Amino acid sequence: MTAKVLDHLKYTVDHDWILIENDILTIGITDFAQASLGDIVFVELPEVGSSFSAGDAFGVVESIKSVTDLHIPISGEIIEINEQISDEPELCNKAPFESWLIKVKPSSSSEIEALISAENYKKHCNSIE
Amino acid sequence: MELKRTSLYQNHLNQNAKMAPFAGFEMPLQYTSPKEEALAVRNKLGMFDVSHMGEFFVEGKQAVQFLDYLLTNDFGSLGVGKAIYSPLCRDNGTMIDDLIAYHISPEKILICVNASNIEKDWNWMQLQIKKFDCTLTDKSSEYSLIALQGPEAERTLKSLNLHKAVTLPYYGVIEDKYQETAIIIARTGYTGEDGFELFCPHQVINKLWEELLQYGAVPCGLVARDVLRIEVCFPLYGNELSDELNPLDSALKWTVKLSKNNFLGKKAIEEYKAKFRLIKLSIDKGIPREGYAVENSSQAIIGKITSGTLSPVLNKGVALALIDRSLFPADKKFFIKVRKNSIEGTYHKKPFLTGGHK
Repeated sequence: MTAKVLDHLKYTVDHDWILIENDILTIGITDFAQASLGDIVFVELPEVGSSFSAGDAFGVVESIKSVTDLHIPISGEIIEINEQISDEPELCNKAPFESWLIKVKPSSSSEIEALISAENYKKHCNSIE
Repeated sequence: MELKRTSLYQNHLNQNAKMAPFAGFEMPLQYTSPKEEALAVRNKLGMFDVSHMGEFFVEGKQAVQFLDYLLTNDFGSLGVGKAIYSPLCRDNGTMIDDLIAYHISPEKILICVNASNIEKDWNWMQLQIKKFDCTLTDKSSEYSLIALQGPEAERTLKSLNLHKAVTLPYYGVIEDKYQETAIIIARTGYTGEDGFELFCPHQVINKLWEELLQYGAVPCGLVARDVLRIEVCFPLYGNELSDELNPLDSALKWTVKLSKNNFLGKKAIEEYKAKFRLIKLSIDKGIPREGYAVENSSQAIIGKITSGTLSPVLNKGVALALIDRSLFPADKKFFIKVRKNSIEGTYHKKPFLTGGHK
């Protein structure tokens, strides 16, 4: 399986993609993630205004067979959540890079530097297939 | 311990199945997606490799008497050509397994048991058969089993020239031949749809699978199987039924025929005051999963979910739950604890779906 990877985004080894725009980080799950999860039937997102530390579980993705925690790659405050995903969780499978889950105002810039490049994420995916 | 493989293992790989261990076998969990497979069964035709299940044969003069003693349900009045579902109980009334017994000919009975309980059931039946003039043979390793389920099942068997099966009523059983080999066909299943279970020797099962594929049967895995049986509220041993539960705890009173003269567990079940009630709950969003707590209006725990899934037909979370009888809420309000939230469930008196079985 060759999962799609977009070059202008950053990634984590846990298969999140991150779009960095000025001061705001938009986060979703990658093509690799949605393919391994199977049909996503439910997504639980955090409350707007809540704060998390890097590594905290901020939400949950459910398929028929499993419940998977989503971990936030950087510390910060949730400033917006994608309400559409609650109603149409299958969008995460159909268009993973268009189906953002949360927008975060980061509290640390050093954590952003720890995010991995598209190139390294591709290598990571190949190594675990 | 190495995993066993059914005779259809390569066929599953050919269909890109995701395989996983189950009851000591490497079994197909899914091929495309559980949702697609479940909908194929409800709307057209699906097929399952359930060869991991156990097949015991009881033969001889007192085969019928033995089965009638062994099971809580009324096997004695069944008659040749019929099958019956029953729990298998100990003297104290607790359930060793649940099974279907097929009365194939006057002195020949097939018992199909859960894969995970083959050894346990065998040991129990060996003990109990001693008083009866009949034999018990374990032929689990000699049979493969395909469950063909869906509205197009009958039509498809016709195309395969298995015409005898087409005349079967629901829960009927008959012997027939496929590729000149003796097989057993029953109009039974675990999905609630019309369908057949085809017990075949290994040498013809691949040909049967391939032919059914050609006629449009959609391969379905164990995840879809679980979704389908939960939609129609069929219990699963290990979830709704166990060695600690009595049939009365698990909504199986209908399978216990106290009018029968004598059977294993009769006295205990007669005198038993049920400790639990098995109920049906649904929620609009999310999945009420096995193990989640069930609460009353005051957020006190009164039971737990024993099986749950997302119904592809109803687009709701559906679940079976065992509730402590002494804590059964007067206001009939049930809340399912999904992570941090207590979500109110809708209480259902009837199964979520009935399916199209005859």
